[in-house]
Amino acid sequence: MKYDSDISFANALPEAPMAMPKQKLERPRTFARTLRSMFAALAWF
Amino acid sequence: MTSPVLIRASALCVALMLSMVAGWLFIDFSAPGGLNWLDLLRAVLIVISSFWLCWGSAAGLLGLFVSRRTIAAPSATPLGMTAILVPIYNEDPVATFSRVAAMNRSIADLGFSDWFHFAILSDTTNLEIAAQEAVWFEHLLRESRAIGRIFYRRRSQNIGKKAGNVEDFIIHSGAAYDYALILDADSLMEGSTMVEMARRMQADPHLGLLQTLPKIINARSFFGRSMQFSSAYLSPAFARGSALMQGSEGPFWGHNAIVRITAFAANCGLPILSGKPPFGGHILSHDYVEAALLARAGWKVLLDPTLTGSFEEGPENLIEYAKRDRRWCQGNLQHRRLIGAPGLRWWNRFAFVQGIMAYMASPLWLLLLAASIGAAAMPNRTPWIMPSEQAENAVWSLVIGVTVLLILPKFLIFWRGVFDGENRKFGGTLRAIASVIAEVVFSTLSAPIMLMLQSRSVGQVLLGLDGGWPATKREQNHITLADAFAHSWWIMLFGLGTLLAAAVFAPSIMLWILPAMLPMVAAPLLIGAGSRTARHGRRTILFDTPTEQAPAPVMLERERILARWRAETLEPHYVVDVVGSPIAVEA
Repeated sequence: MKYDSDISFANALPEAPMAMPKQKLERPRTFARTLRSMFAALAWF
Repeated sequence: MTSPVLIRASALCVALMLSMVAGWLFIDFSAPGGLNWLDLLRAVLIVISSFWLCWGSAAGLLGLFVSRRTIAAPSATPLGMTAILVPIYNEDPVATFSRVAAMNRSIADLGFSDWFHFAILSDTTNLEIAAQEAVWFEHLLRESRAIGRIFYRRRSQNIGKKAGNVEDFIIHSGAAYDYALILDADSLMEGSTMVEMARRMQADPHLGLLQTLPKIINARSFFGRSMQFSSAYLSPAFARGSALMQGSEGPFWGHNAIVRITAFAANCGLPILSGKPPFGGHILSHDYVEAALLARAGWKVLLDPTLTGSFEEGPENLIEYAKRDRRWCQGNLQHRRLIGAPGLRWWNRFAFVQGIMAYMASPLWLLLLAASIGAAAMPNRTPWIMPSEQAENAVWSLVIGVTVLLILPKFLIFWRGVFDGENRKFGGTLRAIASVIAEVVFSTLSAPIMLMLQSRSVGQVLLGLDGGWPATKREQNHITLADAFAHSWWIMLFGLGTLLAAAVFAPSIMLWILPAMLPMVAAPLLIGAGSRTARHGRRTILFDTPTEQAPAPVMLERERILARWRAETLEPHYVVDVVGSPIAVEA
């Protein structure tokens, strides 16, 4: 069985899985960050 | 070679110094009447705005001193397997698949078919277009050696948009390939360029991503050809300067670039940001983030503007340009959330700020305008009305300085072209200088309109309005005056209102705001006129480019295929109607 997502064709893409872990881009929430996010609009300034 | 860090630091110092001088000149101008909070605000705005102008000019000026010569990888380098990814989203399949056919032939002519596969990754949501894609894919499979090398799949749910589309490919098929050459639906590349890129990846095991500078092609309108000229004549110098500063922490523009799949898979899985769009949710401008993540993991991310044979198509009018710009604006402003992401290189963080400022600069200029009118309208202030002679000199120095910053790099690029023969590729010295002047005039006239459009976009994003992901209407050229008016009446109204307000409350600054307000008042005319195309077969004096004079082989091949496919279509206008964009059949 080859990878075909939703529509299958005779020439479906090769089934060769590879892991793509989600990266960490946001820092954990602190009290100060929570306060700041409450005033998100002000953070622009 | 000089360290990129040293070059960045020098450019930063010069830009900071010049912007401080701009602020000082302004204060010098305002001082005779006494400074108040509006003056200080304006001085700060001038410093910030000037800094970004200086920074942009620095890249152009640096690029003048960098060689245009390409350093090719050794031809004996063995090639890894490359998947050429063509993500599409409600595009005209005939136009898109004909590009794939042309690139496939270009690679086959070189004898490298075995190392390159094509994967058309459809995120199309319009079922009629999806059905047409299936029909034209079968057509594409009639190409030489297509079976088993050219693939197509469609996702019914476009989760994560383009980044999610590519990620879906890597998760399911990534291990079959060493590299992924990521294209856009309108991208076109010479086979030799693709082979060279794969060789470079093979030759340098630390190289994670190699970005080319795509040249705009097939433009027909005045606006489109102006951008096409700019991308061919001016952009390379700016890109060479940027590349010099960026070093191994270069950009990714999302297409016409090759990535090492193992590096990309291990480091570029993008999370969904907490909160709702426009600031939360899927990352819209994913490319810069992916470049930053590769650099974070120690991979080299390079921009090589000397790689030729990389093309794309651009918007043909200012309205289409603004629609694309709205999407980019939202994506760039979303990067505010990522400036502090853990582990990023400071240069990548700076690149995020730079991207944000590319859009925030517009409302800042607008604020400067409002503050200037406010300052002039205040009853107890007189500097705009009766400046001293010295002050007059200061403000003129400021105006001249800003003008020079904007146009100096462009004329120096022309001057270099006089000596190194580059201007010959653009129709000769006279045509080149006429085109540069026309580009400067047209971009100056369009700037206030763009300022308004970008300010609106920024306002919408800050108000939390999600712009979504509208499909690009390619090859849509002419805009009628009525359409142009419908899109820009509010800009015209703003220009007229500001002029009226200035005439009543601050007549002394009329002269200063006229250059910005008149193009706003004439916005419908400029947008409509810019979308006009030259009469068929008529060669215009302006904006000649090498690809217009002598199209690249892959461009000619694509034109031949497209003409044949259009002729073969039983209902030639069916696809055109579905896509909603009229497409001329070229003989």
